[in-house]
Amino acid sequence: MEQERNGQRRSVQYQNLLRLIGDLRPDAEIDGPQLRASRMRSIVNCHRLVEAYKERSRVAYVSEQFPTEIAFAFEAIPWNIESMSNMLAQSADVNRILQLTEEQNLSRDICSFLRGPYGMMLANCYPRPNVVLTNNQPCEGLSKLIYISGKRYSVPILPLHTPDTIDEDSLRYLVKQMQYLISQLEGEFGVELAPDSLRAAVEHSNQAREYFSETIRLLETHKLAGVSRELHEIFGMNYFGAKQNAQICKVLFEEALELAKGEEKKGKRVMWIGQAPEESHELLQYMNRVVDIVYWAPLWEANALVLDEDEPLRSMAHRAILYHWNAERMRVDTLRMCETFGIEGFVISNVWGCRNMMGINPMLRDLAASRKLKYLTINIDLVDRNNYTFNHIKNRVDAFLELMQ
Amino acid sequence: MRGEDTIRQAIRGIVDLYRNRFDLWKAADSPKIGWVSIQTPEEIFLAAGLIPLRITGELESSATDACARLGNNYCSYLLSCFSEGLAGVYDFADGVIFADACDMRKKLWEAWTRDIPSMTTYFLDLPCYVSAISKEYFAQRLRKLITEMEHRYGRKISEEALREAIDICNRSRTLMQRLYRYKKGGRQVLTGGESIQVVKAATTGLKEHFNRKMSALLEALAAAEPPPAPRKGHRVMICGSYFDQQGIIDAIENGGAALVCEDISNGVKYFEGQIDPDAEPVTAIADYYLEKYTSARRLEIDVRIQHILDLVQEYQVDSVIYYSIKFCDTNLHDYPYVLERLREAKIPVLSIESERNVTNLASIRTRIQTFLESRMF
Repeated sequence: MEQERNGQRRSVQYQNLLRLIGDLRPDAEIDGPQLRASRMRSIVNCHRLVEAYKERSRVAYVSEQFPTEIAFAFEAIPWNIESMSNMLAQSADVNRILQLTEEQNLSRDICSFLRGPYGMMLANCYPRPNVVLTNNQPCEGLSKLIYISGKRYSVPILPLHTPDTIDEDSLRYLVKQMQYLISQLEGEFGVELAPDSLRAAVEHSNQAREYFSETIRLLETHKLAGVSRELHEIFGMNYFGAKQNAQICKVLFEEALELAKGEEKKGKRVMWIGQAPEESHELLQYMNRVVDIVYWAPLWEANALVLDEDEPLRSMAHRAILYHWNAERMRVDTLRMCETFGIEGFVISNVWGCRNMMGINPMLRDLAASRKLKYLTINIDLVDRNNYTFNHIKNRVDAFLELMQ
Repeated sequence: MRGEDTIRQAIRGIVDLYRNRFDLWKAADSPKIGWVSIQTPEEIFLAAGLIPLRITGELESSATDACARLGNNYCSYLLSCFSEGLAGVYDFADGVIFADACDMRKKLWEAWTRDIPSMTTYFLDLPCYVSAISKEYFAQRLRKLITEMEHRYGRKISEEALREAIDICNRSRTLMQRLYRYKKGGRQVLTGGESIQVVKAATTGLKEHFNRKMSALLEALAAAEPPPAPRKGHRVMICGSYFDQQGIIDAIENGGAALVCEDISNGVKYFEGQIDPDAEPVTAIADYYLEKYTSARRLEIDVRIQHILDLVQEYQVDSVIYYSIKFCDTNLHDYPYVLERLREAKIPVLSIESERNVTNLASIRTRIQTFLESRMF
């Protein structure tokens, strides 16, 4: 038991992580980020990473669209276990990590964005959490992984179930769950949640979202190099509720405003739908030469929802339900994006094992057909290189790019 | 000998109920509604005067159309169901209800709604963990479903009708539980394949027929001279995804082992427990379906594991076969943890991944034979 506790010391876990990410693949070497906002985000990420490995820190594992404002209100560091997969993808050691999962009998048919974090935990690279907060978003695979990780670390697991239906009952249901979760966190951390703490987190979240939405508005009429990608990164980081995130979004908006003065929208615009590789990835580099890629997820209606400062839990509940991959709601939302952002084609990135993406594929294809948009579906794997090489899809990408021209 | 004949005849009668289900459904005047997950509260549809029938996805030999729409890397059971829908197999039914029993079922609901507009579809939010709050919410959803049914069929679903439906379904459960007591006691009344056929007969929605035939079987069993106690063979339990693959059952039973318990939706999971007949009906239905919920989609994995361990004890199971349909994410995610816990309890486990049409049966058979032989002899 003592040995186990020593093995779970965060200082040991930090050294394990450094060994893993210190060995990057040569092709992952990239020039430094061009945008100031990107550099700021990198610094914030480095800071939170270092903080999360300190023994005294409160670390809460969260799933991708968890209402992180609650974690910030408790001064906990939300650790989005899935988002670390992109970092893992750049490591030369990725095969060893995935092999660990296979040795533990996890199927290779599971999405590598989930196998990766599981392997990181098996390799003892993640900081031991104080608490695990999970909801069934964006998929139940992730919520199961987080839940089981809580069992592995023997820490409290506090789940949320986000229903698919939006009505008064479902909103009340989610609010009640959040209230219960907060009461459990109070017990766990031994502090009562001060109303000011939650209010501050909500204010930071709203400030960030306001800048986030304003930046998106600029994309409607301008091609802004790197901006859509940065929005995508901010979305994936899900650091809403932190003051630093509001600052990143503000800087991004200011930079986008500056860029918009010099550059008008040019070229064909396509929307990248689904998981995206890192910016330096050969596939993105290749496509970027021909088309202007706009990322889908940051444009979701849910991102723009301003939280009600008087009833924050209710608006968080509303936002959470909007984040569900409901095909009909997404159809309406995607149609709005097509019209607003002048989208002429879809690239549907179907990551091996992502059933949600596969499940909404028919809707996206039907939508593209009805709007006479070109679309390309590519089956790729951005973490497990055994499942993907660029050559497998290059012909199809070329054909799509020719159509776009 | 005569008693044995009566028993076999009674079993055939139940199995035939399933085999002849389409003729029986088409002959029945009542409207029909399909379902795909055992968390669907059949009681509500029975109370509305409908026949709630399970879609089993076993009639279409190819799921090409469904794959073209939803993709190849998808649960093949659900693809088969969708394929039947696309082929019009259930055109005689009014609609289909999809409980949110996994992400892929939710996507199946959306695809069905879009691609088979002739059928009305319904969606039922199903909490992924159990608490007082989630039970209350599930009961609210059931009340909404009742209102939808009342509007659709223009009739009031009274408390009395709900109580009557609960009574009919509880009776089915009791009869199934009584039958499975023989399995627990070591008297192998049914083969593994027949057990699954009997449970499938219960899911046809023809509850009164089923209850009559089950009562006849149980009476025949009670009246017959108990056969001499068989030599205790190797007792196997299967758990995991949707399962009805006779080839796999044959591989177990032809090797000399007995499939004594099926911890699956076509097995004990379907008929466990009882709905409280004295409580307010909707609350009682909601409580029942959430409390007995031990499928892989439920978050609290220890509840599932405890349930497996309880069954191992009740049915005196010697080894467990963990069956997962390829791409069934919830079962695949659970497997490492389940394996770890069962190994701690010193229960041998064999994991099998396969598809609806079991194209890899030969290799599965070899694995089962190797797994069992080393434990039986």
